[in-house]
Amino acid sequence: MTSGLRRVVGTVALVLVSFLITALILRVSGYSVGEVFSGVIQGAITATGASTSSIRWAIPLLLIALGVVVGFRAGFFNIGGQGQFYVGACSALAISLGWREGPAGLVVLCGTLAAMLAGVLWSLFPGWLRVRFGTDEVLTTLMMSFIGALVLQYLTAGPMRNPQGTGQTAASERIPETFRLTGGSGVSTTVLLLVAGVTVLVWLVLERTRFGLTMTLVGRNATMARWQGINVRRVGLGAFALSGALAGLAGAVELYGPAARLVTGFSPEVGFTAVVVALVGLLNVWGTVIAAVFFGGLQSAILFLPIVTDLPPPALVLLHGMVAFLVTIKFRAVRRRRAAQAEAPAG
Amino acid sequence: MEQILATTLRSAAPLVLVAMAGVFAFRAGIFHLGLEGLMITGAFTTVAVGDTTGSVELGILAAIGVCLLLSALYWWVIGPLGANVIIAGLGLTSIGLGGTAYALGAIFDVRGSLFTDVVLPRPVRGIADGAGVIIAEHSIFVWITPVIVLAAWVVLRRSRFGLRLAAVGEYPFAARSAGVNPSMIRLQALLIAGALCALGGAELSVGALRNFTENMTNGRGFIAFVAVIFGAWHPIGAAFAGLFFGFADAIGIQSQINITERVPREFVLMIPFVLTIFAVWLGGLWRRRSLEAEAGYAELREPDF
Repeated sequence: MTSGLRRVVGTVALVLVSFLITALILRVSGYSVGEVFSGVIQGAITATGASTSSIRWAIPLLLIALGVVVGFRAGFFNIGGQGQFYVGACSALAISLGWREGPAGLVVLCGTLAAMLAGVLWSLFPGWLRVRFGTDEVLTTLMMSFIGALVLQYLTAGPMRNPQGTGQTAASERIPETFRLTGGSGVSTTVLLLVAGVTVLVWLVLERTRFGLTMTLVGRNATMARWQGINVRRVGLGAFALSGALAGLAGAVELYGPAARLVTGFSPEVGFTAVVVALVGLLNVWGTVIAAVFFGGLQSAILFLPIVTDLPPPALVLLHGMVAFLVTIKFRAVRRRRAAQAEAPAG
Repeated sequence: MEQILATTLRSAAPLVLVAMAGVFAFRAGIFHLGLEGLMITGAFTTVAVGDTTGSVELGILAAIGVCLLLSALYWWVIGPLGANVIIAGLGLTSIGLGGTAYALGAIFDVRGSLFTDVVLPRPVRGIADGAGVIIAEHSIFVWITPVIVLAAWVVLRRSRFGLRLAAVGEYPFAARSAGVNPSMIRLQALLIAGALCALGGAELSVGALRNFTENMTNGRGFIAFVAVIFGAWHPIGAAFAGLFFGFADAIGIQSQINITERVPREFVLMIPFVLTIFAVWLGGLWRRRSLEAEAGYAELREPDF
């Protein structure tokens, strides 16, 4: 466990270094770091509604990041969470607007399942290319992510555009209030239970099932796993599917929770931040929960900051970039695993 | 039609410049996903320094300087410190996008756009009609882009550095046994890439336009990366891919103006990404055939073993 402890300490140290560098940049450009820090604490925890808002932003991060963790476990790098999240939200929206008069519970259930299915399809296509042809999944998931963003843009500006909508940004109509699982705060007992249930489920699948074990074996050494009689392709497809389903689910939760309608290019950073969250969480389910709450808090804080300081909000993007830039330093275990895998591609 | 061709050249020039950056990085075995970040940093620094000093040359020199510095940091992180190339590259992109938008607010106290009077010289001007429209009103960078592409080709194909680069990218083990230090070659390739990204960004902000806008690269760095893959990491191939994406962009802009157009703009914009998935798939099939390239493939993901 000492190596595990070393990884935790190393990651925390790297995150701290990223924060220090960003703080230095803020200091040099004339902001009072103390003021910003106290603003962040208020915006993330102490101000009215701040902790709720932190949880609200942590939820999509957590769900998408769990998908990244699942992919990584099997040795795959799904960085297309953003697109899977978008198509998931779009599918849920299509069901909800198309079947407005339906019984709320049933519509929400169908919408959520449709969102997960859309996420699965969006992730399974690159996954299939990967296990069948050895096509690099990093690039294909990224490309699918861009395509997903354009699908959202097309739908919100075209077929699903709210004809009564005013303003510059294209947005869809609102879903009926009865379909929503939360108010505008984005947090309710239902959603919290759902997310907690999903998290425990993912943990169970990864750590306590045969499928989870075979995924880990495939991720560690695909050739060895094949010799042991594991159907590497099927396990790979399963990992991609589960990963996409989680990101799609995040889309549905966003729609039925705080959003209620879709705006073109909403939450543009969430997919990438989720990858950072998963890495900071050391690709471990509970670590990811902690990291998601932490980054959710930062997101909440940056929305609050304009009240106390005139810090430009893109500072958060800068900070996320800094963490991503540094956090994988000496990420030896995964690096070795990936190198071993590239030498002997799955399939 | 002339207008579309002129727009094609204007849209393609920054893409091609950044694609050349991607080619150098790719040849060194690095999937450079930080191109977007370097490009927007170049665009911002040119405007910021150019507008403050009133000299576009100083602006471009400063942009190149900043991009070289960021590229060296990127090399340090993914090389000696062993960070993941993809994640650190995406991090670099976020640093560029977030950092420039932040600096816009923190230094110039504006949100959105920073307008400037400095602009790149435009050698051919004042042609209003006929085929001349195609070549008129382009900045000097549009004119030198073909020269840079040819130079990149000569360097990669005919120079000592180019051959070493190829060796490092394809089979670093062999390169090392031949007495070449792969890490240093990668550093040089990344520095060249950084400078080219600065030029591409500058063309975007003071060549085609006269302002810097938050997130103005709008995925162009990724499209340039795509052009590298689609052009089979050959400078000429990548340049033609960039030209094609510029054309797709021009049609997209045109169809936006012309509302009666049947094909929604978003579908036109999807073309590069769909083509890339296809190209990566095809490239993957190809690569499986040869053992040496397989080693290069491993190295592509993990440059420092």
